[in-house]
Amino acid sequence: MTSDPTNPDVVDDPLLADLRRLAGAVDPVPAQVTAYARSALGWRRIDAELAELLVDSQLEAPAATRSASDLSRTLTFRSSDLAVDVELQANEEVALLGQLAPAGRAQVEAQRDDGRVVAATESDDLGRFRLELTAGDRIRLVVRREPPAAPVETSWIDI
Amino acid sequence: MTTPAASPGELLSRAAGGDQAAWDAIVDRFSGLVWATARTHRLSRADAADVAQTTWLRLVENLDRIRDPERLGAWLATTARHESLRVIRRGGREQPTDEPDLFEAPEDDAVDKLLLEQERDGSLWRAFAALSDRCKTLLRILMADEPPSYEEVGAALGMPVGAIGPTRMRCLERLRRIAGVAELGA
Repeated sequence: MTSDPTNPDVVDDPLLADLRRLAGAVDPVPAQVTAYARSALGWRRIDAELAELLVDSQLEAPAATRSASDLSRTLTFRSSDLAVDVELQANEEVALLGQLAPAGRAQVEAQRDDGRVVAATESDDLGRFRLELTAGDRIRLVVRREPPAAPVETSWIDI
Repeated sequence: MTTPAASPGELLSRAAGGDQAAWDAIVDRFSGLVWATARTHRLSRADAADVAQTTWLRLVENLDRIRDPERLGAWLATTARHESLRVIRRGGREQPTDEPDLFEAPEDDAVDKLLLEQERDGSLWRAFAALSDRCKTLLRILMADEPPSYEEVGAALGMPVGAIGPTRMRCLERLRRIAGVAELGA
């Protein structure tokens, strides 16, 4: 594994090869991570459209500007014809306050990465909805509007 | 059947069609890089596992949207770096000290066995631990299996590609000096 013609950077120093062997023994990729990664293909979209994560205040905000009491996190997802704005308010439970744009009624569910639907509701006429979630879960939202609009799935987020 | 020679673009499009073998080939090729990226952000193995899992889900989301498949490794490293930074911010944790925590030992006694069985490995690993954070971080990424390209290394660390070669050389020199040139060979 020392000479990759497409990758001339990696003409391996023998010392580096030794270190790689040691890293494999001391700090290996956990087997459950590899198993999870392999099974993740089962989550690929078949009929739904992705609402991609565009904004995550936890990604954007410099830690220095956030106070310890600032427990809310805002996220924006967008597909070709739907925007989903979300605010997460963490207490013992995590309240997810959502807003669909364009506004309107839709079935909204939170799907956990083990396949379970952990919360479901319907948005009101103004496109607002609220879900109660559990901290530590990894979820995505699935939004079903009146046909012919295709179902929309958001990016996964860690709550 | 997936041949190792399949290009990332080919593997991606087959995986997007549901080909598990193609997907497994992508995971096998890059899981070391994704893991090392999280670990060089000094995340615990538990937090690094979260980052790696989220990173793989991100790729599944984007299977049909990767614009430049030849740079898939850099895309994964960038995604893992962003997720690592998010976990650090979420935790509101203190910045790590200079404690050499880059390698929190796994649950088993792999390190002890390593040190006992191979004296040379032990002195090499101790020498590695004595390096500066900058060197440990860079070398840890370079240790990923498969060996990453400089572009992937730069993406994982948020480091200009041009700085990698010279830093790598300096860090390996320092490592040799600490560990003892005679013992490790040139």
